[in-house]
Amino acid sequence: MMRLPKFEYRAARSVEEALAWLAEYAPAVDKDPEARAMLMAGGTDILPNMKHKVFTPKLVIGLRTVAALRGISYDPERGLRLGAGVRLSEIETSPIVQQRYPALAAAAATISTPQLRQMGTVGGNLCLDTRCNYYNQSEFWRGAREFCLKKGSEICRVAPNGTGCYAVSSCDTAPALIAFGATVRLAGRDGARATPVAALYADDGIHPVKLHDGALLTEIALPPLAGDWRSTYVKYRVRGAFDFPIASVAAVARFDGDLCAEARVTLQGVAPAPLPLPEAEALLRGQRWTPELIEAAAEVAYRAAHPMDNTSGTIALRKRIIRSYTRQALATLAAGPATTAATQAS
Amino acid sequence: AALETPVERLSAADGWIADSDDPDHRISFVKAAQRAEAAHGTLSAVGSYTPPNLGGKFKGAGVGVSPAYSYTACVAEVRVDPETYDLKVERLWVAHDCGRALNPVLVEGQIEGSAYMGFGEAVLEEQVFRKGLHKIPSLLEYKLPTIYDTPEIIAMSVETIDREGPYGAKEAGEGPLNPIIPAIANAVYAASHARVESTPITPDKIQRALREAARATTATTPQPERPEQPERKVASR
Repeated sequence: MMRLPKFEYRAARSVEEALAWLAEYAPAVDKDPEARAMLMAGGTDILPNMKHKVFTPKLVIGLRTVAALRGISYDPERGLRLGAGVRLSEIETSPIVQQRYPALAAAAATISTPQLRQMGTVGGNLCLDTRCNYYNQSEFWRGAREFCLKKGSEICRVAPNGTGCYAVSSCDTAPALIAFGATVRLAGRDGARATPVAALYADDGIHPVKLHDGALLTEIALPPLAGDWRSTYVKYRVRGAFDFPIASVAAVARFDGDLCAEARVTLQGVAPAPLPLPEAEALLRGQRWTPELIEAAAEVAYRAAHPMDNTSGTIALRKRIIRSYTRQALATLAAGPATTAATQAS
Repeated sequence: AALETPVERLSAADGWIADSDDPDHRISFVKAAQRAEAAHGTLSAVGSYTPPNLGGKFKGAGVGVSPAYSYTACVAEVRVDPETYDLKVERLWVAHDCGRALNPVLVEGQIEGSAYMGFGEAVLEEQVFRKGLHKIPSLLEYKLPTIYDTPEIIAMSVETIDREGPYGAKEAGEGPLNPIIPAIANAVYAASHARVESTPITPDKIQRALREAARATTATTPQPERPEQPERKVASR
């Protein structure tokens, strides 16, 4: 049985309090990276990672008590605003999200299990650590051989000849939010700033989420979508519950009659960061989406995806899925304005 | 109150213990059991059963003999994606000969449980070792099927009254498990012409089986080999 390591827990009552506590621990982190404070929203990922001793924070700061992180609001001029502490189940069932941003509702609906979506939050999902089956293991297992690159060793077990860490970005809401052109609000000790969701991620499995200087993600903003916008999210995982994405596609497009005015395609589960496909987007923009064009875009996705052998499924299967699901997602959008919810494998 | 009736006149029916000659003279089974336990302690009985002499005199005749055998038939409906080779088991029909179904609902549950177990083994569950270490030593990565994955199961009990078994029953243990895996494997073959000979039947094994079958049929007329797809790229980022 794996138990939680010892840690101190404090429930923050405000964003400022959480930031102050993070700052309190910042000097210690310079000396010992393990001696840090971590934020906990739903706790569905941090706690299992702590049991595996992948995370060993000295202080856990609870965010559930911060009222400012709650709430979904929509304004036709300003778009959708989601508090970072909004639960995934709230997003999945929100009528406004389902109607205007169906790819986001679909992405939220495919995360883990109904029970965990009742606890997990959208902010927590965006800040999810990358995953790898050499990394998400018990300390005993990891210690049986040398630890991996992400845990301070010299060598990546997945690509011993490589130079980086290939742990996989596994949050479902990020590709959908990137495709919608969403931004996040980051509160720091010296004020708040907004940044595109895409800019939140580094193509680096070790430090995948760029929250510098102890910043706290407080809010997600999606632009208002005027016109014929269509969107969908198609996720592959081995089972219909629990499993993280190992190959998925978010597609968002605006149509002007028969022609596509804007197109965004983002892959997930195949790299250390969500993978936008500008080449496919350029191919689709300004065009009528014929089966041939959709096929060409699916081929671009197939070539762009370079998964590694560090999740369930195999490299070959995940590449095939990316091509098939990209085609499926684009065909769904081309079929008409009635956007559909997510489909998923077996 | 006690019935004060000779034992040989007592009969039990519909939850009552009654005097056969005067059915209105009765007490409930629960009351009777409570009184008996109060007077004599836990009610128990000891019995024994000796199976008939089975087998023959020849070598090996003593292996696997039983006074009764159950039989099960399974029909599997599967879908194989022609591009990704993703496998979906849509439905399983399972008919099990359990002798007499003493509790038909429980028998049905046993059949469903066996079908679920066989489905998991056939399609998902796997122990993988990589360089001496168990690759997936957790219940997140050891893929037990969830309710979303489990096919629709149509369970049927076929009652044959066995001469030896208690009240004619045979078994509904894990007998119905036996045909599930071969039925799914055969359905995969019928759907895709891929003959996969190990479990779990994964998309990659289906692809490999198809590739090998294609190679075997073109072996007489040599053709350029299809490139292995996809190229595995290492450290290109």
